[in-house]
Amino acid sequence: MYILPRNQVPALTAALAEDYDLYGPVLRPGGGDPMFERAADPAAIRMDAAISYNPPKSAVFPQAERILSYRYDRESREAVLVRDDLVRPKALVGIRACDLTGLLCLDRFYLGQEYVDEVYRDHRKKMFIVANTCVRPFPQCFCVCTDSGPAPREGFDVALTGVGDDYLFETGSEKGEALARKLGLKEAGPDAAALKAKTVDESIARFDAEATENKAWISRVMNRITMGFIGNDVWEYIGDQCFECGACSFVCPTCSCFNIEDVNTRDGMTDRMRSWDSCSFEGYTRMAGDHNPRKPVEDRRNKRFFCKLSFSQSKKYLRPGCVGCGRCARVCPGDIGLPNVVTYIRREITKAGAK
Amino acid sequence: MSGSNAGAIVTVPEIAVIDEVREEIEDVRTFFFSFEKPEIAKSFRIKSGQFVMCTVFGAGEFAVSLPFSPEGDRPHLSVRQVGKVTRALHELKAGDKIGLRGPFGNGFPFEAIRGKNVIYVAGGIGLIPLRSSIVHVLQHRQDFGRILLIYGSKSSQELMYRDMIAKWQATEGFETYITIDRPEPGWKGQVGFVHTLVGPAKVPVENTIAFVCGPPLMFNSVIKELLAAGLKDDAIVSTLERHMKCGIGKCQHCAIGRTLVCTDGPVYTYRQIKTLGEQI
Repeated sequence: MYILPRNQVPALTAALAEDYDLYGPVLRPGGGDPMFERAADPAAIRMDAAISYNPPKSAVFPQAERILSYRYDRESREAVLVRDDLVRPKALVGIRACDLTGLLCLDRFYLGQEYVDEVYRDHRKKMFIVANTCVRPFPQCFCVCTDSGPAPREGFDVALTGVGDDYLFETGSEKGEALARKLGLKEAGPDAAALKAKTVDESIARFDAEATENKAWISRVMNRITMGFIGNDVWEYIGDQCFECGACSFVCPTCSCFNIEDVNTRDGMTDRMRSWDSCSFEGYTRMAGDHNPRKPVEDRRNKRFFCKLSFSQSKKYLRPGCVGCGRCARVCPGDIGLPNVVTYIRREITKAGAK
Repeated sequence: MSGSNAGAIVTVPEIAVIDEVREEIEDVRTFFFSFEKPEIAKSFRIKSGQFVMCTVFGAGEFAVSLPFSPEGDRPHLSVRQVGKVTRALHELKAGDKIGLRGPFGNGFPFEAIRGKNVIYVAGGIGLIPLRSSIVHVLQHRQDFGRILLIYGSKSSQELMYRDMIAKWQATEGFETYITIDRPEPGWKGQVGFVHTLVGPAKVPVENTIAFVCGPPLMFNSVIKELLAAGLKDDAIVSTLERHMKCGIGKCQHCAIGRTLVCTDGPVYTYRQIKTLGEQI
């Protein structure tokens, strides 16, 4: 472990900017939640910013991207297909434990199943990750319920933990070590690990009083969701509040469904575009010829929570699909962010138990 | 049902040339194709029951079952025009090119059913995905017991692969029961829905596997008849259809229950289908 003085953060981002495009929490003029986005100016990334409005997902899974392009000449009947890898090396700086866990879920899903998603792999393979321990929670947070925070545990090159005027600079890879050497950081003292543990413990202790917006004791409901032991009236109650806007999917660090459409461009090429999709949209399962096996909204809503909280889906993520960031609850125009859904289901369990 | 698809064309489609287009029934055409690159033509190996993602250049990509046998059968796709991309496909002529990715999916069991009686029950264009298995099993006729095809469509003009069926009927020991929904002048075969033939066909029950494919209503009534005849739910196999975008288990459009049709299916036993908890 090393010591990075807080005022040396700009040196860290500047060093990374030599080799990587930087992504991180960027404050917006006029205030409000920071956005996790590409920072043209390395100094714009703020390690002390609040949890970002959006997850870092779009750095590895852009909202819309070309995955193939081709030209087909109808006269000569010549077809030329091109899949170019234009992805530049990226550094995610200031990623929080919940979001890093979400990223690892995406890795396991896109790279760890029968097939590898080559497009995702291109985004992911040249990446540097600087994670940030949450030394105190935000009101929306419930990562302690989902076992995904407040400190990053794996998948980082560097993890920072703010202590006084310094960051504890922990390396998780050879790349991280190289950066420590490049910055000329001084080694932390023998009590650094204990200091970090104490800082994390203090953060966890604050959740009760400070992270008051959401609680989601998901372990109680995972079995129910997996086995389908949830009354349809519960799903209907949830479905009645769904606006089918897809916002929960778009701000979720682990939602990764996509659509693919071929788009003819003005220069005679065709771009195969993939873009975010959401299982809350009615057209999601509609087939050509208008057969749609999923119709009522509650039928579609329970699929999303099945995806986040069932054992079968957890096998793909090697953990539950919810990382406790609380974003879905903030953006939902109804009142069915994941923590509330868990509460509705738990209430149902309690009711059933009382009978 | 599971299987691995080493060697599948995953991301960038391979180019195939349409060699011949054949009218089948209204809105359904068969497109015979061969891969442009000889090495792909050689390495492209399928199992019956698998599917490919077919690119119609300038229009898009769609999932489609493979109707040809894995052994010595001319590669082709039989496609109904039903949406934007399949309509664009229907405009193509011999010499035009398409893109193909795949093959994907688990496929029908073959080795596991050697020695068994085999029943095929199809409705309408549900015969297309079963064709591959039928031809494959007939190519190994001596390895199987009774082989039955119970097939029906709305009218005689809407029966798929009529020439093929005529050839199959000439195959010794291949029993066919063909029906149309309503009587027609000149029609000498059966009249009525497909499931009504399951009883009269006196289907075998012991050491038997049944493949069923067709529209949901037909599927449900056929299943009822097969179960009533005594078949076990894991001796009934079907192939499911879903909206698909990627074919490789990532886009998740084809999620049904806890499975994905593209990688866990498209072939499921009825025992599995019952536990999916969704409409087929």
